[in-house]
Amino acid sequence: MAALKPLLYVFVYPGLLFLFAYGTFCEWFDRKVYARLQNRMGPTHTGRWGLLQPVADFVKLMAKEDVVPEKADKGLFTALPVVGLAVVATAMLLVPVWHVSPTASGFNSFSGDIIVLLYLLSLPTLIFFLAGWSSTNLFSTVGGTRVLTMLFGYEVPLFLAVLSPALLAGSWRLAEIAAFYQARPLLLLVNLPAFAISLVCVQAKLERTPFDIPHAETEIVGGTFTEFSGKKLAFFRLMTDIELVVSSGLLATVFLGGFPGGVGWGFVQFILKTLFIIFLLSLMRAATSRIRVDQVVSFAWRFLAPAAVGQLLLVILLKGFMP
Amino acid sequence: MKVQIPIGPQHPALKEPIGLRMTVEGEVIHDADLRLGYNHRGVEKVAEGRSYIQNLYLTERICGICSHSHSTTFAQGAEILFEIVPPKRGQFLRYLVSELERVHSHLLWLGVAGHEAGFDSFFMYVWRDREIVMDILEMISGNRVHYAINTIGGVRRDIDEAQRTKILDLLAVLRARTSFYLNLGTTEPSFVGRLAGVGYLSKEDAMSLCAVGPTARASNVPRDVRKDDPYGIYDEVPFEVCTADTCDVLGRTVVRIKEVLQSYDIMEYLLRNLPAGPVAVKAPRRPKPGEIVSRYEAPRGENIHYIKSNGTDKPERLKVRAPTLGNYAATIAMLKKGFIADIPLIFAAIDPCICCAERSVELVDSRSGRPSVVRWSELRRMAGRRAARDSKKRNVEWPL
Amino acid sequence: MRIGAFIPELLRHLFKKPATVDYPFKKLSPPEGFRGTPYLHPETCIVCRACERDCPAEAIEIVELSAAEKRFRLTIHNDRCIHCAQCVDSCPTDAMRMDDKYEIAAFSRWDLKAAWEYVRAVVKPKAPAPAPAAPAPSANPPSDNG
Ligand code: SF4
Ligand code: SF4
Repeated sequence: MAALKPLLYVFVYPGLLFLFAYGTFCEWFDRKVYARLQNRMGPTHTGRWGLLQPVADFVKLMAKEDVVPEKADKGLFTALPVVGLAVVATAMLLVPVWHVSPTASGFNSFSGDIIVLLYLLSLPTLIFFLAGWSSTNLFSTVGGTRVLTMLFGYEVPLFLAVLSPALLAGSWRLAEIAAFYQARPLLLLVNLPAFAISLVCVQAKLERTPFDIPHAETEIVGGTFTEFSGKKLAFFRLMTDIELVVSSGLLATVFLGGFPGGVGWGFVQFILKTLFIIFLLSLMRAATSRIRVDQVVSFAWRFLAPAAVGQLLLVILLKGFMP
Repeated sequence: MKVQIPIGPQHPALKEPIGLRMTVEGEVIHDADLRLGYNHRGVEKVAEGRSYIQNLYLTERICGICSHSHSTTFAQGAEILFEIVPPKRGQFLRYLVSELERVHSHLLWLGVAGHEAGFDSFFMYVWRDREIVMDILEMISGNRVHYAINTIGGVRRDIDEAQRTKILDLLAVLRARTSFYLNLGTTEPSFVGRLAGVGYLSKEDAMSLCAVGPTARASNVPRDVRKDDPYGIYDEVPFEVCTADTCDVLGRTVVRIKEVLQSYDIMEYLLRNLPAGPVAVKAPRRPKPGEIVSRYEAPRGENIHYIKSNGTDKPERLKVRAPTLGNYAATIAMLKKGFIADIPLIFAAIDPCICCAERSVELVDSRSGRPSVVRWSELRRMAGRRAARDSKKRNVEWPL
Repeated sequence: MRIGAFIPELLRHLFKKPATVDYPFKKLSPPEGFRGTPYLHPETCIVCRACERDCPAEAIEIVELSAAEKRFRLTIHNDRCIHCAQCVDSCPTDAMRMDDKYEIAAFSRWDLKAAWEYVRAVVKPKAPAPAPAAPAPSANPPSDNG
């Protein structure tokens, strides 16, 4: 039984199977909300309310012809989507949805797992860069460099913003941080600026408007993904969906007090809180226009980073006054 | 490292084929080159084999968006050749449709600008409200795109009292929505940040490169055929020429929205002062021999048709100068020193209508600089020779 | 500049009915006077060939089948027709009309041809009015189509 449990984690919940189902659901939710905000219908006809549309897209892409450019590095080009999917799925294991008790540590909950999770979430960015670079297409290359340029903008504010609640809680373990805020919900208000900052940064990490610069279709066609097709593109899309789930799970754990209340209620809380965050992300996507890559960097360093540092200072001061 | 980036002939930012070659260094454009001729349709030649009434519908199909502009320009010219004057009511209705078309074209452009800047919600909302104009046009003329309302000597359809009040009501709705977009387009930070300062075209450049329409007006050149050389009823309608002095894409956006608001005024004036009477006079089949140049302020700028008649029922020559052609030179100037990210915006900001502007192929010999017109057979021979010579180079490295 | 200037407008529409129509399942009806597809009302056609002459797309073809019987065949090549309704305006006897169908795609261009065989009518053409009336919309397409 003990050996079975990790396997269950990896494959069923919160592993691949759950991630696939919930990732596609989140994509549907995002698309539907985005469409309704724009007074459109969104997916309507595949499954009830179009729920199966992302799955249908996935299946369709899986069945499509898979072209590898002649000049591309074949090994790298083929490995990247799989590695990317593996990375984000691994990251999900660290989000404390399953483990009820904050005390017991295990392979998926240990001191410092917040850092590991953040780094696992940085890897997809590198993978996108490599994907753009290895496909040798001019548009992909421009997309790839844009990915990296943006990374230098948002990564530091994101880390600072996510770490400030950890600092306040005095722990580097996600489950403990969540438990700390469950005990003192009012302290969550202190972290609101950091929450806003990290929402913006996560939006940038997920490359959604206003930060969909690496694959801005009107400028550089498909950007990083120009040369990807068929199964590889399907994997990349699934990877983005799962990244959305993981990032919103991380934000919900750190800023919204995690998912207490045992398996059932905890699960419901997970769904509600992640959907809330995805809703905010969709709203941001609908309300803004794409900005330029130089504007991202200057915006991140002129506003986001100072704000995050300010938040950090606030947290440190508060910690000094706290009993 | 300088790289050449091809934008087009096939590219998501382009709705029609055109070749833009950008020499970029990093994200900055150093040089731009424009290649035309992917969409030549031979409209002018076809026009020589069609009667005037048939040409009305042919010229309408030069452009899908300013279709009425071309057919009105042609009809205006033909009416002078035929020596007839359309009745007042017919003229009022004709220019009512002109202004409706200007509104629909500018709103379409506004949505496209939003889309090019990645502001898809703006695009969706603007296009939703543009449907109101399309519905009015469909109600008046019986179709959404090619209104076919013009005939030589007036217009083909009349409107009744119920339609008149309905249009006035809908215009009030549109006016409110347009003011909202003017407000939104100039306050949403990410959108303004994308548009402001992009695609700078100084007033002097706009003059010397012969920019037309909103592109010129946004560089503070108050050039508008409706005011400079009033045709039809425009000398009796009060309206203002809208200009901006920011000389960038934001200015072009503001000019267009303000023009739309002016158009509502014009339309309200036309509808409130609509005279009674017939809408068309009967035209003879053959005009007198002669030639005429007809000018018209299309949504994109000045539209010119030259018609030469030899006394038969078909024109001897029709020459079309679509507004986009006048703006190409200015586009190149705007693109230089811009960012890759701004290419679609700058290019879209002239509201290009590529296939309107495709007229004839002129080859310039790059060594002697002498232009030469080449016959089809010669072109084919050249293509064959080139293919034979370059047969081994088929696998050249991308990009070519 | 106002951050999130669009958000109130967006949220206002979140629970509103979408502005778009679920097209192939729900359809909008065209307005009165819509220019759909031209069809012939052969009882009144006097074979003056005005429509054939004025059609900008050369989509109308009139062939004489028998001079003695005064039988003619008029074909409308709908694959060429640009739906301008000039034929309706040109026709002196209202024989050419427009219906209001807008879903007229077909799998082959030959499916789009409509032809009528008829004997020339003897109708007095109405006085050519300076302002041609709007085409009479008719719900019934021709039955002797073929
Ligand atoms: S509608 Fe126009 S194109 Fe069609 S048949 Fe009549 S005249 Fe010809
Ligand atoms: S349909 Fe009308 S215009 Fe055409 S031939 Fe018959 S009568 Fe003449």
